[in-house]
Amino acid sequence: MDFYAWIVGNKEILKILYGLVITFICIIIVLKTHRLYKLSLHTGIRYFRNAFFFYGIGFFLKYVLESLVFLNIINSIFVPFISVLFKFFLIMAGFFLLYSLIWRKIEAKIEDYPSSLFHSKISVFYLMTIIIVILDYVWFTHYFMFTSQIIIFALAAIISLVNYLKNPERKFLKFYFIAMILSLIAWVLNAFSALYFGWDKGIAINIFLINTLIFLLFLYGVIKFTK
Amino acid sequence: MAKKRERLDVIRDILKVIRDNRQIKPTRLLYASNLSPQMFKEYVDELLNKEFIKLEEDKKGKRYFLLAKKGNDFLQEYKVIETFIENFGL
Repeated sequence: MDFYAWIVGNKEILKILYGLVITFICIIIVLKTHRLYKLSLHTGIRYFRNAFFFYGIGFFLKYVLESLVFLNIINSIFVPFISVLFKFFLIMAGFFLLYSLIWRKIEAKIEDYPSSLFHSKISVFYLMTIIIVILDYVWFTHYFMFTSQIIIFALAAIISLVNYLKNPERKFLKFYFIAMILSLIAWVLNAFSALYFGWDKGIAINIFLINTLIFLLFLYGVIKFTK
Repeated sequence: MAKKRERLDVIRDILKVIRDNRQIKPTRLLYASNLSPQMFKEYVDELLNKEFIKLEEDKKGKRYFLLAKKGNDFLQEYKVIETFIENFGL
């Protein structure tokens, strides 16, 4: 049996493993950045932490809980709910990550919100996310999510490139830019895979590998700079 | 980006002045901080709200600032926080 056939044959177990790895990485990133946030109360760190908090929940729901459904451990009645929640958390995480890069242009003065997960400015993103999830659900598609994420990561790639060019001595800004480009590639591949290749398994494996690499890059940066 | 780093620098400077003096009157802290009275109030209010500093009164009713535990923790980890923010473009 070749490697590709082995992966396809064990795909549900591998998806659980993939989900657990990404969730574990997110937990470490959230805990490390939460400590920095508690010390500094820095708004950018807060949104960065929130992004990985939401990614962690999203990936756990999709790749751990949903795979447990296919292994008949959880009732299949939950699949549509898991799918909707996965989209919600994934899209919101993208918004949080983008907002962590642009918040200083929007929040001009010192503002103290009672909640770090929900306030007036962020509520716009919640509203947009809910609209995207509803549109995808009504049209039985994923394209609104794909479009939103491609736009988000194209913007994030441009902003991170500008950040890197302004401060080339800050080594991780280069990796941040690479991570944003990889995220953009992963979302474009996702869209093409769904549009033209009927969720081709070979493309899916490549997307999983790219996503793992992106999260490992962030984990490396967070561990290196929170020592 | 530079704007926010300046803000963190101002916070660090205010906290350092309080730590170095152990306790300091509001007027002296205003002079030491090199801020306009309006900006000074904004920063001090934020630091008080976030419990980085404390405002207390002596027996004569004169008020003075003290460094709180959170403020001390911030000063110790300031370099790590600054490096993280700059390397992630936050």
